[in-house]
Amino acid sequence: MTDDVIYDRGYRRYDGPRLGVSGARRAVIRDGIRRVLGLRRKARRKILPWSLLAIAAASAVVFVGLHFASSQIGIEDTSLLPRYGELFDFFSWVGILFIALAAPTLLIPDRTQGVLAVYFSRPLTVGAYLQGKLAAFLGVTSLIYLLPQLALHIGLAFLSDDGFLPYLGSNLDVLWKVPLVTAGYLALHGSLVTAVSAVVGRTGVAAAIFLGILTAGGSIASRIGLLDVPFARWVTLLALDQHPRIVRDRVFDITTADYPAVQAGFGMWTSVAVIAVVAVVGTWWVYRRYRKLA
Amino acid sequence: MAHWRAVQPVVTARGLTHDYGPVVALRDVEVEIPPGVTGLVGANGAGKTTFFRILLGLIHPTAGEVTVLGADVGREAGRVRGMVGYMPEGECLPDDQTAADFVAYAAELAGIPPGEAKRRSSETLFLVGLEEERFRYLGDFSTGMRQRVKLAQAIVHDPALVLLDEPASGLDPDGRDQMLDLIGRLGSFGISVIVSSHVLTDIERTCDWVVMLDAGALVRSGPLEAGGDLRTVTVEVLDNADTVADALRRRGFDVTLVGHRFVVTGDDGATEAAIVEEVARADAGLLRMVRGASSLEEEFLARAERR
Repeated sequence: MTDDVIYDRGYRRYDGPRLGVSGARRAVIRDGIRRVLGLRRKARRKILPWSLLAIAAASAVVFVGLHFASSQIGIEDTSLLPRYGELFDFFSWVGILFIALAAPTLLIPDRTQGVLAVYFSRPLTVGAYLQGKLAAFLGVTSLIYLLPQLALHIGLAFLSDDGFLPYLGSNLDVLWKVPLVTAGYLALHGSLVTAVSAVVGRTGVAAAIFLGILTAGGSIASRIGLLDVPFARWVTLLALDQHPRIVRDRVFDITTADYPAVQAGFGMWTSVAVIAVVAVVGTWWVYRRYRKLA
Repeated sequence: MAHWRAVQPVVTARGLTHDYGPVVALRDVEVEIPPGVTGLVGANGAGKTTFFRILLGLIHPTAGEVTVLGADVGREAGRVRGMVGYMPEGECLPDDQTAADFVAYAAELAGIPPGEAKRRSSETLFLVGLEEERFRYLGDFSTGMRQRVKLAQAIVHDPALVLLDEPASGLDPDGRDQMLDLIGRLGSFGISVIVSSHVLTDIERTCDWVVMLDAGALVRSGPLEAGGDLRTVTVEVLDNADTVADALRRRGFDVTLVGHRFVVTGDDGATEAAIVEEVARADAGLLRMVRGASSLEEEFLARAERR
């Protein structure tokens, strides 16, 4: 006989603070970020997001390397070398793939696995749930746009003949231009893929539909826009992927392509309006859908 | 937040009505449910799930009002949901999360701070018997383990009332026993429970109060032990139940027929003798004959038929 005692830990009451809807919203944000990045999930869930992040970061390293190489071989005119604006193009497909992964991952499993029944039995409202998901989405996807730009900015500052701090001081405009252009990309692509994810039941299918809308839809709209038919000019606006790029070109004062909408005579503000319309309609659509599900 | 530990009803419904267009899911339900473990019984489509959804404030009644733990659900749905736990009937677990992470997340969604949520997750999973498996992914869990996790997420935030929708669904007999034991223990922790089930023996085993719904209408709300009606004889036959019932009616008995069962009203020994005689004459094959509504199921069938 021993003196050991087995205790039944039973049930412990909780009389501590309860954080209400705001606490629930923060929980949704934390869980959303973990889910997209595969944190606290099986290893295979981490492969795709971290690979895409690594590729995006590598693109900045390539750009810094170009600037470094040009300085080593004595090229005086570095204005021909790609910089912040061009970097968006360099990793844009990585960013789009990341967005195509993030939004369906955030929304679809909750619905298809029936977890919403648990979530909405808590003080969490539909609005707070979607706000939490949106914050998680923006938090993670902005990483893939902002981190390479930050790496490029620091890299160029180190390589600058003027010195690190003077370079930063003379390029303060980057601090608003990069976030502004990033917001354009995320608003258009994010609301589009989120709207698709709100109705499609499989993450892969949602990603494929989103990519299809961007590629095939853009291509078809561009071709119709060239035809001599009524409203062909307006059809060019349906090539959605061009709009953040048009904004980007104007913000950084560069020209990277002949966009169908520009050829049809539309300017940057039309693209801004298209992005805003897609974002508003997409948000309304998702909210309406989840109001029904709750 | 102070807990609801008073003796007043945990749920009060007055004239509760809800329809989905032409389909009336709940019809003028007047009920008070006391603290303790209450069974909500009814066939599929009786209105049980609609009743739960109204209690959680997820849908609004077409007419009438309902209070849960003293709070008006229509005006304070968020507050009510903070005090109530819910275990859905269907699948509601993410395959790619560990049990510990999911239950902690469920606690955080109820407003528990993250550190405390993690502690309570471990304790609650210990309580439901999953302490060894809590770091395994839910996709690798058996049905019985998943049911336990569903129960754990429903109680992790220390609710005053838990709504359990068919908690023993899909479990083998051992798993069912364990789940019913767990539900019984919740009452001893001071948590009131409303458990819906169509397996009425489960309700008889775990509950001390029963609410019966049929086609959206309240059939009965009362203590379980007061259900027996010794003026009736419940009979189950193999075949020809309608022939026997007709014969008994011709002999002046009040007979309610439901499938192969019928309930005969008659409070003396002559009733049983007449039943045996008519069953033999119709070659119906007597399977069971019991005086009084000895089980909730028979009572439910009889009452539903009378309506």
